[in-house]
Parts: sequence; structure tokens; C-alpha cells
Amino acid sequence: MQRYSVLFLFLAVVFALNGCTTVIDAKLDTGPTQLSVDGTLTDLPGPQTIRLTQTAAYFNNSQPTPATSATVTVSDNTGKTYPFTDPDNDGYYVWQPSTKDTLGRVGRTYQLSIAYQGETYQASTKMNRVPPIDSIIFVKRKLNPFSSTEGYRAELYATDIAGATDYYRIRFSRNGELQNKPDNIITSQDGGFRGAGNVTDGLVFIAPIRRSINPDSLYNLNDVVKVEVQSITLADFDFWQVLRAQITNGGLFATPSVNLPTNIINTRANGRKATGFFITSAVRSKTVSVSEANIRVRED
Amino acid sequence: MSLQSGSAQATQNTAGNSAQEKSVRAAALTVSGYIKDAGNGEGLIGVSVYVKETGTGAVTNSYGFYAVTLPAGSYNLVISYVGYARQTRTVDLVDRNVRLNLELTQEGKQLQEVVVSTKREDDNVKNIEMSVNRIDVKTLQRIPALLGEVDVIRSIQLLPGVSTVGEGATGFNVRGGSIDQNLVLLDEAPVYNSSHLFGFFSVFNPDAVKDVKLIKGGIPANYGGRIASILDVRLKEGNAKKPEVSGGIGLIFSRLAYERPLFKGKGSFIVAARRSYADVLAQPFLTGDLKGAKFYFYDLTAKGNYRINDKNTVFLSGYLGRDVFGSDFGFNWGNTTLSARWNHVFSDRLFLNTTAYYSNYDYSLNSDLKGKRPNDFFRTDSRIVDYSLKPDFSLFLGKNTISFGGQVIAHDFQPGTATAASSGSVRTFGIASKRAMEAALYVGNEQQLTPKIQLQYGLRYSLFNYVGQGEAYTFRTDVPLGSRREVITTVGYRGGEVIKTYGNWEPRFSTKLDLSGNSSLKLSYNRMAQYIHLVSNTTASTPLDIWTPSTNNIKPQIADQVAGGYFKNFGRSSGTGSEFEASVEVYYKWLQNQIDYIDGASLILNKYLEGDLLSGKGRAYGAEFYVKRNTGVVNGWVSYTLAKTERQVDGINNNNWYATRFDKRHTLTTVLLVDPPNAKRWNFSATFTLASGTPGTFPTNRFEYQGYVVPQNTDNARNNYRIPPYHRLDLAATLQGRKRPGKRKDDNWVFSVYNVYARKNPFSVYFQPNADNPRVTEAIRYSVFATAIPSVTYNFKF
Repeated sequence: MQRYSVLFLFLAVVFALNGCTTVIDAKLDTGPTQLSVDGTLTDLPGPQTIRLTQTAAYFNNSQPTPATSATVTVSDNTGKTYPFTDPDNDGYYVWQPSTKDTLGRVGRTYQLSIAYQGETYQASTKMNRVPPIDSIIFVKRKLNPFSSTEGYRAELYATDIAGATDYYRIRFSRNGELQNKPDNIITSQDGGFRGAGNVTDGLVFIAPIRRSINPDSLYNLNDVVKVEVQSITLADFDFWQVLRAQITNGGLFATPSVNLPTNIINTRANGRKATGFFITSAVRSKTVSVSEANIRVRED
Repeated sequence: MSLQSGSAQATQNTAGNSAQEKSVRAAALTVSGYIKDAGNGEGLIGVSVYVKETGTGAVTNSYGFYAVTLPAGSYNLVISYVGYARQTRTVDLVDRNVRLNLELTQEGKQLQEVVVSTKREDDNVKNIEMSVNRIDVKTLQRIPALLGEVDVIRSIQLLPGVSTVGEGATGFNVRGGSIDQNLVLLDEAPVYNSSHLFGFFSVFNPDAVKDVKLIKGGIPANYGGRIASILDVRLKEGNAKKPEVSGGIGLIFSRLAYERPLFKGKGSFIVAARRSYADVLAQPFLTGDLKGAKFYFYDLTAKGNYRINDKNTVFLSGYLGRDVFGSDFGFNWGNTTLSARWNHVFSDRLFLNTTAYYSNYDYSLNSDLKGKRPNDFFRTDSRIVDYSLKPDFSLFLGKNTISFGGQVIAHDFQPGTATAASSGSVRTFGIASKRAMEAALYVGNEQQLTPKIQLQYGLRYSLFNYVGQGEAYTFRTDVPLGSRREVITTVGYRGGEVIKTYGNWEPRFSTKLDLSGNSSLKLSYNRMAQYIHLVSNTTASTPLDIWTPSTNNIKPQIADQVAGGYFKNFGRSSGTGSEFEASVEVYYKWLQNQIDYIDGASLILNKYLEGDLLSGKGRAYGAEFYVKRNTGVVNGWVSYTLAKTERQVDGINNNNWYATRFDKRHTLTTVLLVDPPNAKRWNFSATFTLASGTPGTFPTNRFEYQGYVVPQNTDNARNNYRIPPYHRLDLAATLQGRKRPGKRKDDNWVFSVYNVYARKNPFSVYFQPNADNPRVTEAIRYSVFATAIPSVTYNFKF
């Protein structure tokens, strides 16, 4: 629904002739530093990483200070534990598979435990199911209705798994470069938008989601496009939606600024709080290039 | 009875001469009737009928009807109304009630120009009403307007105690109330969304509006259903004397209105239409994908009346408006209202108005406006429909005017049906509609206790039934404060089955004490209950926000308000009242069951919406200062409001009180109307607004998640900072067209500049990573208008 608000804003601005934004100076208080957990584990083979940093003053534009000397472990509901270590002392805690083992398995629940500066933090989550990507195709289009430049607009075809409500996050990269503007944060419920119940359950991902994997400039011929669909939980979905809203929040129809939810809980109720989220995703991806075989000619 | 222009006739009432009535009359007799404008036959609201001998009097009601009950005798009645020639009539009350219908003549053109408000002379001091503001259309048309479009809602924001969260925002806030707490009435039918194009223009066509009254406090018992204010907009009845065409061409709208008498002057009607035409002008430039793009809004306002006989008059009024936007993806929204009214004079002392109305607000969204994608589309629509019947009686008993009546409303909420198609598979999803029955009974009395003390008191009982057919949900309560409550049980209800009942006693009380020196002291208390709520979590409400009834999970909102005020008129007194009127009012409000939202609430097409709502209490208090000059070359008003409005909701701001998003500590507005004595065809006006910045939630810290820099407020505070103050100057000049002898044509040009010194007034300040360097975070001020906006409008009438 955020997308409609954006449209309203667009129209409001067009009709109001000259809505405008200006960067201003703002003096802000700074609160106490907290542990911040950036942890998304996948079912892909290879090492898995959890990044721990410290929160900083809002206008502190430097690289975040790593949270070092923490003890980080992940365990699953089968009793397996996976130690994460930070040999480089840079806040990146890594689990190295000893064999061809993967950490993530669809259907398992995972618990993260972090001991840091005398506090113990825990988080738990589940790795949900994810559908495969059937195909990615391209259609030649103008960049936008006002532009005369053309590019190739990508569409992702995948089908939501019928039954229970599923939540996904979609990421895409162009020629190996992850597209990570705030607008590129794409989340979906059952292959559709949030809120409309399970109306899209079991359907092919709806058109706006299919076409969400495009940079503003669209693609050029021979670009290599990689798309990932990641399974997430309802809590993760809420987290990503709030995250996107908070960094794209402006205009007439802004929602109140709120803190992102977190699932990182201090085992001591009155202990120092932490931020961030612990997510486990099953990932399906597809890589294609913008070539004749993938280009379709059609009216829409 | 035929009425001659500018004349008055008194007729003996010979109808219903029963013995019983005679015995009543032995004690007291009544003089009553309708008072109209001699020029066009419009009923006049709030005309003073003053009895010289007794020092008492009456005021005409919304239909122009008055009644004064007196002992038998001969009396001089002084009938006065600002902007109209005063009349004195001698009435002999011997053994019969007297019907005295009058027509008042507008005073000379020159004088009319300086009228700031049509109303009773010294009304602010003499009337028991407090916390009430009126704006008449003549003043409205003089106030500099955005893009030259005369606007009711924007104009009332210049009055004390009325504000907005920012320009372009829908609706208005009254004394710390949110926008859904105002009952906006168009000929007694509620209008659920009073805006075109979000909040830039309002739905009221100034060509069809007769009277605008805003009641902020001391609300009489006949009003209910919202807790902050009543905006009572009355439409013109249409010229009953001669056909008239009026209209205008502005930058946004073109307007056209036609009014004429019907049935040899026994009735009249008015039809007024407006349409924006930016799309028509842009059509040649819309090519390719934009071909066929739609962006327009229009409204049609109509009203007719017919006087069946001296005792019965019927009115029918309607409004139809819609905003349409879209190219491939489109959406539209609009209101429809229809109200039918019957005025019946039972006897000279008992007046009845019965209103039946229908009101509908709906919107729809369609991703495939052109029908090009039958396999992939998304459509949704939502509506709220009301049907209501509302009899209101007034009984005129000399020193007491008793009003009593009731209302029933059937509400039908259809929060949304969605149809989605993806690759040819079509699914439909609907949120069960919600139904409710609202009813109220009231009785009130306006009493002249002593010559100096007047009382108005009443009691209203409101009853609300949330009924089937529908589903009722219960939610978990064992979740942390401020987080989503998941549904536990769903219970289906059959049609008409009661799910939940609420009832509230709503006492109302006002008193006025006349002091020496043309001044008075007024006090009031009122309790109001509100059973329907607008669910909106954005800074400005969007047209997609939905209304929801009180349910087993959402309690009715309740407000208690006490207000006190001192009113004084001073300066040179002329035939049209005092030169200056001034008032100081203070108020305090206690609010219960105020709705707020969990962080990240999902409000659209959410069946379990109630699980995302929070409930808390509120308080609002302030002082309003107002001085107005009614006459002179430079007239107008200055108003200053000092106010504070806060909420306390468990789960927000660490459960502490926080300022609402529309809280403004100081608001100063100045409206100047200048009528230079030498420039016969020109007049000028200016408005200046200065207000404190509204609050916003600013971050303290930040962290990174997958490369995105995210703001964080370690105190978990809400609205902890203020955005910079707001100030704006608008100017307008009106050039009257040359009068040609013998021609009825009357025209003028209005030139205006909005935001003269091009201030970039902040609407909000938000925090975002820089687009090019996401690690650098910025505070960004968003201004809706950043430049001066000039405009020109041509108006005509013939």
C-alpha cells in the first residue's frame, strides 16, 4: 500500500506545482550506544555471517564501530549448534562449514545467542519454504511515460506456494552489483501486497511484484541479471516493511517515525537493549542475461 | 400570501381556532413568521427580533423562522440584521396569535461591501452561543485564496481554535481534536471527506453556500455524533424573485450556477456545478502512455424548495462530487449526499423540521483503468453509507425555547472488496461489511432566567448498536504493550443480531451573564460521544482511509469540555452594530478512548485491523483571543490561539503523554479587508498566518542493516521535536466590472498571490540516507509550496 501513497505524493506534487525538499541542519540528542545485530542466514552452501556493530549518533557518517569479543552461537531444533567466530576482530562473525554441510534447512527453527559486554542476547526464528523462480523475461519499454529513452524492463515469474500465508523478500543485482536503494527493498505476502488477506495465495506473483526487479534506468542489452527470492517470517516481513517505510518516509502522507522492531532480546529484562534482526531465509535464485531468448515483444 | 419586495405584511392567523387554543392564548400570545431577503427570497438565519417594550426577543432559526411569545398588548418589534436595513413593526396582540412574515432589504452596495459577517447585531455579546464562529459567503469571497478558489475549509482555519496539520492536508483540527472528530454537515447530511485533491480544495461550492457556522464548544443538545466540533454548512435556497446565472473562471475550476423561482414564487431552486479543467488544457500534450490519462474533479450541488402553504415547506438538497486520477493505474473517490427536509409549523409556537438524509463516501482503485490487462489487475473499493431520519422540534414559550427531537442513523461500512488477477487467475477477497445503528433522543431548553442571565441546558442520550450481519473478533491481550494482537476467535452474527451496545448520557449546559458596557460572560460544559472513527495513520489523511464503527474492541470516543469566555463590543456604534467586537475564551477538554496505532500498523484491507489499534486518553486546553473590526476602510480580524493538545496511549512514548501531530502552541491569524473610499471599483484584502511548528519524531541514533542506515530513537519517544514555525502572507485585489445602466450584469476580477514572500514553510522534517551516498544521513524539510502562487479569477452574475 506504500506504493499508492507514493503515487498520491506524486500527484499532489504535480498539482501543487512545486512541492519541495531542502536539506536542513538539525541538532539532535544522542542516546546510549547499543548492540546492533545484522544477521541473515540462508540455506546456501558455504560460510554464514552475522555482523555485530554498535549504534552511533544519527549524524555520525563514519563506518559503524564493530562490536568485538562477543560469543556468538546459533542452534537449531535438532540440537545442532553452530559457533560463529570473529578472527579478524572486525565485527563479522563467521561460521565455516567443516564439510559440505549447510547451516539452513527449510522447516527448522533457529536460536541465536550472543554474549557481549556482560549481557546475553537471544533471538529465535524459523526458516520457511520458498518457491523456485520459473523464468525472467524482458520487454522493451520507455524508462517512464515522460522519457524518450528506452530500456529493457525485467519481469520475474514465480508462483506462490498454495496453503499457509508465505512471506518473501526479493533482491536483484545487475552485472554483479546488488541493487540496494531504499526503493529496491521488495517484500511480498503470497506473491502480492500485504493486507489483502490471502487473496493471492497460490497465484503467480502479481504484476507489480513481477516488475519490481528493475533499476530506474531499466536494463541494457546483454546485462546479466540475478534475482533471489528469499523466504522470511511474518516478523521479518514486518521488520523489512517498517525499515523501508522509515528510510523512504516523507511527503503529505508520511507515517509516524517509529523504531524498527527487533527480535534480539536481552535475557535480563532490564538489561541494555539491542537492535537489529535475526532472519533465516531459504533462497532460490536465477541468473539470466538480456538476450534475444529472454526478450518478449508485447503490448504491455 | 404574496410578499412584495421590501415590504412586510402581517396577517391574522385564522387557522385552527379551537376553544382549547383560545384558553391558552388568554395567558400569552405569539408573534411568529419567516424572515427573508427581499432581493432573492432566501430565508435569513440569525435575524434578531427585539421587543422594545420587554427587552426580550428571538432569533430566526436555520430556516428563517422565529417566534416570540408575549402577554396580550401592543408591541414594537425591531428587526435587525447586519447588512440589512433595520425595520420596526408595531404588532397588536389582542386575542389572536399573529403571523408576521418579513422581508429585509440589503443596505446600499457601498455599505454591503464592508460587511464582515451577516448576523445579528452585537451577536457575539447578546447570543448565548459561545465558541461559535460564522463566516458568510461575502467574507469568504474576499479572503485571498489558494489559486483563487474560494474555500470554506481553508477559510475557517483563519478562526481562533481551528488549525491544520499542514497545507494540503485534508480536514481541519478544532481545539485539539483530530479531523474525524468534526461533524461536517451539508444541509444536515454528513460529508465524510470534505476535500478535493487531498486537502487543497474543499467540496463546498461557494456559489451555492449561504451560511457557514462552526461550533467548537457549548454544543447544544440537538447536535451529536462527533466530539470536537460541528461545521454546519447551509446551502442557498435559490433566488425566489428572478432567474440568475452566476459563475466564474479560475485557474483550477470553472463554475456555473443557475437559480430561479418556481411555481410563481412559491418555490425556487439552485443548481451549481464546478469542474477542474487542467486535464482539458493538457489533453494535446498527453501522448503515448499518457494518452487518455484522467485527472479531474468536479462537484454538483443542487437544492430546491417549495412552500406548500404557510405551514409547510419542503426542501430537497443534494451534492455529488468526485475526484478522478489515473492513467493505467487509477483511483477515484467522492461523496454523495441527499437530504430532504420538511418544515412544519404546528401552531405559532411549535416548529418542526424533519430531515431524512443519505450520505455516501466511496473510493475505488484500479490497476487497469484502460482494460488492457485482463490477466493482471488489482481492483478494490470501499464505502461508508448512512441513512438517517431526524425530527427536530422547537417550542417557543416566551422565556423558554424548548427543543426536542431525535435521530436514527443506519451505518453501513464496507471496508473493502479486492479483486486480484495474476497471469489469468482471478481471486476476490472481501472484508465483511460492518453495520451499526445509531440513535439519539434529546431535549434542551434555552431560558431567559432573569433579564441578565440566560441559560441553555439539555440532555442527549445516544445509543449505538454494532450489529450483524458480520463477524466479531476477539484478540489476544497477553502481548507486550504496543504490539500487534493476534485474533483468537471469530464469531459470525446473523443480520440484525446485536454484537455490542454502547449508550451515553450527554449533558450540555451554557450560561450567559450580561454585564454593563455591552459585554457578557459565558460559561459552558458539554459531553459528546462519537461512535464512528476514521482510521488514519498518516500525517495528512488520504482518501483511502477508512471509517470504522465502534465494535466489541473499539470503544466510543468521549469528550468533556468546559469553556468560559468574556465578550465585549466597543467603539463607535452604528446602525449595524458596534465597530469592534472582542472575545477571550479558555477551554479544557478531557478525551477518552482515542485511537492510535501500533508501530507498523497495517490499516488497509486488514480484516483484523482492530488488533493493530491502541486506545488511550487525551487532553487539550487553550485560550483564544479575538478582535474584529466590523466597519471602516480597514476591517477584518486578528485572532491568537494558545493551545496544547496531548495523548496518552499505553504502548506509545513509553506510556507517557505526548503532543499530537497537529499540536501547535501559538497560532496568530490576521485578516484585513480594505475598502479604499476613493477607489470605487477596487478593494483589497490580506491574510497573515504565523504558527508554531508541529511536532515530529526525530531520531537520536542510527545503525546499519544490510547496508541500509536506519534511524533509531533510543528513548522510544513520540513527537519529541518541533519543526520550524509556519508563516505566510496572502494578498488579493478585486476589481469590480463597470456597471452599465439598465444592465443586470455584475462581474469582477480577483487577483491574488498566495505565499507572497515565497516562504518554504515546513510540512514535515524527515530523516533519510543521501541518495548518492547512503552512509550519509540527512534531515530533510518538506514544503508543500515553495514559491509565491499568483492567480486570477473572473466572476460574473446576471
